[in-house]
Amino acid sequence: MVGAGHVPGLNAVVMGTAVAAGHLGWEAVGIRDGFDGLLSPERYPDGGLVALDPGLIANLDPNGAGILGQAPRVDPFHVRRVNADEMVEELDLSDLLLERLKAAGIDALVGVVGGRGLSILYKLHKKGLNVVCVPRSIENDIAATSVSFGFNSALSFTIEMLDRVRQAAQAARKIGVVEVLGEQAGWLALQAGIAVGADVVLIPEVPADLAAVATRLKDKVTARRPYGLVVVAEGATLVPPAKGEAKPNPLKASLSPLATGEASDHVIRRSGQAAAAVAEALQLQLAEETFPLVLGPWVRGGAPTAVDRQLGMTYGAGAVRAINAGSYGTMVAFVPPDLRFVPLPEAINKVRTVPLDGGFVQIARSLGIFLGREL
Amino acid sequence: MARPVDASGQTGIVLNIQRYCSHDGPGIRTNVFLKGCSLRCKWCGNPESIAFKPELSYQASKCVGRKECGACLKPPFPEGAFYVVEGGENDTVKVNWDLATGVDEAMVSLCPPGALEMFGKRMGVDEILDEVEKDVSFYRSTGGGLTLSGGECLLQPDFSAALLKGAHDRGFNTAIETACNVPWAYVEKVLPHVDTVLHDHKLTIPERHKKWTGVSNERVLANFKKAYETFPNADFIARTPLIPGINADEEHIRAVLAFIRPHKNVIDYELLPYHRFGLGKYELLGEVYELDDYKTPSAELVAHLQAIIDEAFGRTGQAAPGVKP
Repeated sequence: MVGAGHVPGLNAVVMGTAVAAGHLGWEAVGIRDGFDGLLSPERYPDGGLVALDPGLIANLDPNGAGILGQAPRVDPFHVRRVNADEMVEELDLSDLLLERLKAAGIDALVGVVGGRGLSILYKLHKKGLNVVCVPRSIENDIAATSVSFGFNSALSFTIEMLDRVRQAAQAARKIGVVEVLGEQAGWLALQAGIAVGADVVLIPEVPADLAAVATRLKDKVTARRPYGLVVVAEGATLVPPAKGEAKPNPLKASLSPLATGEASDHVIRRSGQAAAAVAEALQLQLAEETFPLVLGPWVRGGAPTAVDRQLGMTYGAGAVRAINAGSYGTMVAFVPPDLRFVPLPEAINKVRTVPLDGGFVQIARSLGIFLGREL
Repeated sequence: MARPVDASGQTGIVLNIQRYCSHDGPGIRTNVFLKGCSLRCKWCGNPESIAFKPELSYQASKCVGRKECGACLKPPFPEGAFYVVEGGENDTVKVNWDLATGVDEAMVSLCPPGALEMFGKRMGVDEILDEVEKDVSFYRSTGGGLTLSGGECLLQPDFSAALLKGAHDRGFNTAIETACNVPWAYVEKVLPHVDTVLHDHKLTIPERHKKWTGVSNERVLANFKKAYETFPNADFIARTPLIPGINADEEHIRAVLAFIRPHKNVIDYELLPYHRFGLGKYELLGEVYELDDYKTPSAELVAHLQAIIDEAFGRTGQAAPGVKP
């Protein structure tokens, strides 16, 4: 089963699972579109399950977007339906799902899911389902594993795009402000920023002082180097004003003047606002012109990198090993050099954030990359 | 919790009672918002009114953090329902909405700063009407009264009927706001007690109505037509939430006018320009707002479409700019 939200190269996980299962003499089937293949089989004339037999797997493109498809919502505890009275309602179909899994002869489930999917599959596990999860995150923010499937592909594409933005900034003699994914963790912004030698990287873990950012840019943007590059994670925050609130304000909230009252004090889920907010604020303090650009969702498409292809196969095969070992209610985690099966509670409600005393932050500082304020 | 019971014996799930309202029926009014809706309009500005049951909301700006409080991180709160991200400078609590489904009103009362709240509570008819009656002097001087809103107030037909009848008995004008996506039996039960029916014409084409609200509009339109004919003494005011790119076009406005104008008890057609006031509320509920990139309609567009309506109602005698007769 593949959870909501696309990442490149999902077929690799499907292949790894099916091939490893085949070696054990097990039959592997895929569920179409999250759990829809089982909960709404009437939508699928060819059946809601896909037999992942050797003939299919041998011809599956590992670069493909995903043979199983995806659903925008994958939560059997809140399934939106139109009832017999033509009224929309949300139903808990978790018991029905468990019944149908059993009826289909499915003994164990491998779920390729992000942070929220881990919680949902944990709830199903507590109801008796044999579950093993594969961590999938563009932002690499899932705890208990060093790297989630999909991150490396997003990082590679982000680096490629930042290179292009830097060239554009150089040609136009402006400062490019680029927003990348990273709601709670700044791995993508920081690692890509290091790779391209950005001037400034703003991440959620370090509330930024834009006056300090402007000061730093004044030093770096000179007549001989009349351009700059600022990378902003979408969840980047600002330090509070001198006598202001006790907590940092997400940049996104600062641009939601039409939201009302205290409810608007925190995150409005809208990508594209952090870059605009930073670009405008910096332009007011600098002689140079800034321009915002949002990479955000674009990095979810395309082909996987070699690392993610390998990781996908590895995680798929690892999930089968977990099932074979009877390690249910777990997530396959890559903790170099080992592949481990960690209990789901170790990954749920935790975020793999960038440690401020860690290697990447130290490297960024060594390279002269400003992280929004002096650390 | 004891349920307040009154002479009617009816109780219902109420989201909010809002006094001094002036846009939802004649005069100054008290709006009573009921919980529960049978549509899922992607632009909904009241997401906290959609679910029938009382539901958890969390306002992070009120949370004082784990160091100062941390009450929700311990029993009786469900394991894993709340957590703090380790390693950051901020120890504000976050909600795992998938594991917090068991949080109830009693638990919420244990949150000292009030960051946790429940949207909605069960109330009795007299309890509500006593609150509504506080502004009776305004109703008398302005012709105002009680407006039932939602959610969809027709989804609690017995309760709504008892409330509206009680309001009439106390001499208040009554109005409802409805999208009318309910069985006719519900409409039939409530409308005898309503003076003004504010009703939504959201989209014209059934498939597009289904796309943006979750269901087709065929039953909705059938209910409207039957209501116009069955309740000739009620005033009907059609409304359209105007959203550029979805329904803010002449074709829809003219289709609505063609539908309502043959019925003389449809006394007006109002445009409600889309706003984004509901955005922050989605975050309080741990939900994602799906209409994130949509903009409010321009004043020029609203004026243009309003002119078409004014012309149809014979209010100006002039065609709107750019409109062919």
